[in-house]
Amino acid sequence: MFRAGLIILLLCFVCVPPGCSRQGHDATIRLALQTEPTTLDPAFSVDFSSGKLSSLIHSNLVAFDPDAEIVPDLARSWDILDEGRRYVFHLGAARFSNGRRVTAADIVYSVRRLLDPATVSPRWWLLKPLRGAAGFHGGGRWDGEAVRAIDDSTVVMKLDRPVAHFLGLLAMSAAGVVCREEIERLGAGYGRSPCGSGPWMLSSWAEGDEILLVPNPGWPGPRTALEGLSFRIIPEQMTQIAEFETGSLDVLEVPRAELEHWRAAGTPLLWKEELRVVYIGLNTRKPPFTDPRVRHAINLAVDVEKIVVHVLFGAGKRARGVIPPSLRLSPGPAERYPYDPARARALLAEAGYPNGFAMEIWQRENPEAGRVLESVQGYLAEIGITAKLVTREWGAFKEAVDQGTPDAFFLDWLADYPDAENFLTPLFHSSNIGGSGNRTGYRNARVDSMLDAASMCMDRAERWELYRSAEEIVYGDAPWLFLWFPEKYEVVSPRLTGYRIPLIFNGQRFLDVGV
Amino acid sequence: MRTFVLKRLLLLVPILLGVATLTFVLMYIVPGDPVRAIAGERYDEETLVRMRAELGLDRPLVVQYVDFLGRLARFDLGDSFVTRRPVTEGIRERFPRTLVLALSAMAIAIVCGIVIGVLAAWGAHPVLSRILMTVSLVGVSMPVFWLGLLLIYLFAIKLRVLPPSGYGGGSIRNLILPALTLSFASMATIARVTRSGFIDALGEDYVRTARAKGLGERVILSKHVMRNALIPVLTIVGADFGSYLSGSVLTESIFGWPGLGRFVVQAILKRDFPVIQGAVLFMAVLFVLVNLAIDLSYGAIDPRIRSEGGER
Repeated sequence: MFRAGLIILLLCFVCVPPGCSRQGHDATIRLALQTEPTTLDPAFSVDFSSGKLSSLIHSNLVAFDPDAEIVPDLARSWDILDEGRRYVFHLGAARFSNGRRVTAADIVYSVRRLLDPATVSPRWWLLKPLRGAAGFHGGGRWDGEAVRAIDDSTVVMKLDRPVAHFLGLLAMSAAGVVCREEIERLGAGYGRSPCGSGPWMLSSWAEGDEILLVPNPGWPGPRTALEGLSFRIIPEQMTQIAEFETGSLDVLEVPRAELEHWRAAGTPLLWKEELRVVYIGLNTRKPPFTDPRVRHAINLAVDVEKIVVHVLFGAGKRARGVIPPSLRLSPGPAERYPYDPARARALLAEAGYPNGFAMEIWQRENPEAGRVLESVQGYLAEIGITAKLVTREWGAFKEAVDQGTPDAFFLDWLADYPDAENFLTPLFHSSNIGGSGNRTGYRNARVDSMLDAASMCMDRAERWELYRSAEEIVYGDAPWLFLWFPEKYEVVSPRLTGYRIPLIFNGQRFLDVGV
Repeated sequence: MRTFVLKRLLLLVPILLGVATLTFVLMYIVPGDPVRAIAGERYDEETLVRMRAELGLDRPLVVQYVDFLGRLARFDLGDSFVTRRPVTEGIRERFPRTLVLALSAMAIAIVCGIVIGVLAAWGAHPVLSRILMTVSLVGVSMPVFWLGLLLIYLFAIKLRVLPPSGYGGGSIRNLILPALTLSFASMATIARVTRSGFIDALGEDYVRTARAKGLGERVILSKHVMRNALIPVLTIVGADFGSYLSGSVLTESIFGWPGLGRFVVQAILKRDFPVIQGAVLFMAVLFVLVNLAIDLSYGAIDPRIRSEGGER
């Protein structure tokens, strides 16, 4: 019996031929996703993986290029009329992956579907600027003038008021154009069998393992030389590294803790600033954080520069303000919070807390957050503030933070579209308090009116000036402990050509990438 | 025997009802709003209310509970809140992969564990015996995560003989490392238990009698010693196999193995109630069945237990 067992075991090993099966010499690019997309239906794509893949499969009227510039997609050109209240889009000759031509009626259908209260899309708000959209979503009548097909290849959209970042909204993954007959045929199943007119189409989806996209023959743009994009779902970063090192992945996002190793090995790293800001929100509705002196003291007490160098291994820039550097037209606000614990202590005393106070900082489960917050905790202790770190999983964390329960919370904000508006309005406009983004409960009527004016302003320079001034006020009011703008590092297999890290997550459609 | 099996199967009904009730209640006690977890980063309260209504979460708890039990009675586990796919579809896709991994890990653990245990018990080579027991001690105490990465480093990166991760369409090459990792702790425990079982059995009167009868050492070992030493091993196999079948989250995560464990953990993180409830119920059924099978196999190995079972 022992002998039989041993023989079976040995056979298991011997029968397996050596060499790795996934060595890629073909024209399929192999990429990794940390989490599996939940759906490929644009209306429900709210997480990173779903949005990224949905944008490869679906076309929008306009799209982002890797530098996050707006480029033509289904619309070959467009006119902005009536001071930004009317958009006329002229469509090209794209086809859905089922072979049918995309017409203006498909745009109307997709817009109406996203806004329809019966669809229950959490992303309906991106089309809110359309005329009567909010009313329709609230159960009112559909305004046929909001979006209208003039003929098969012309669409007109009307807005309640000018919205300068409207094209950015249209390029978001949730605004992807869907194929009506497939939605009606498949219902909820569309999320697993999407039919878009993007450059790629779904070939196979092995649950929890691998998603394969192949070129959509109906794509009207230049043909890609690639045979496909394979997205493997690999939750562990260490495993992703192993896959890259064995040549089974073409692109690897380098974890911050591994940066030194790759730098030391002399591997050429691609680098891009992310459109993301990391912060600790201070609950401005709750004493003692209602007092701006306390919030200033907290900002003065923490040496963020040091945290960026030692905890983040330099993979970020200290945030002076809210808008990431790559979206700025002029430099950020002047330094207001240099590391100065003595002044912080004085401010606390002035505010009536000479001996400090106790507070809670909430975080979601995340090892990196833990390391950062321990440093913050140490700095705060130096000025007498006892910070207790409270860890909750994502759902519970969001619920508490949306309802304004915690004193402070560690969070980040990732841009949906590359615009200063996407940072300032959701995060600091008083109409967005709660789940819409403003989780500190910050209220400033001047900031509100500046943000309202800016979003309607079609003049680029004037608009920037409004955002810059609003940011200056927010920075001075300090509803956050301003932390950093992260940077992303990737290594790419030498067989890949033309690959760039996109500035916005759905800005890389692999059209210029070759092997 | 038949009544025994029937009784045990009938017990499934109250067990499942208990498990169903417990998971249902736990879902609602644990903080965390499923709708907020699904809605992404930016949403308005009105949308949350709509989503809650669409998922039926706005109804009174009792109504939701009765509805849930009603669906269970029709073997309908509902649709996932997040992916909107039927839960049974997810389980049907994931379980066979978990089963393959669990069976291979168990096979490795049993064969290697027993071989190591017997070699260590035999005492012919005291040094070998000590080495084997030290290795098994390391095996019992080594964290799965570390072992997994170690094996990936050795076999995938250094020797390049096996792929580091993935399901590979069911290729045996992709199965080896996760199965080996998963088997390690069980293998070590089985080895230690086999060794002590063997040493105990070797000292028993019936072994002396067998030797006195002039039976060959091989016959004594396989017919007399082995059977008696195997009973505790079977208990370990039962417990470990039951838990392997419900998915091994760490092993599956390290090796990107698309099994039941990752499926459930993802569901827990997203507060995907129907998936959590469905998967937990499915695991409860598996546990009961595996334990029943183990109880029955005790009888097959040891006639004394069989006769006790017959009296029941």
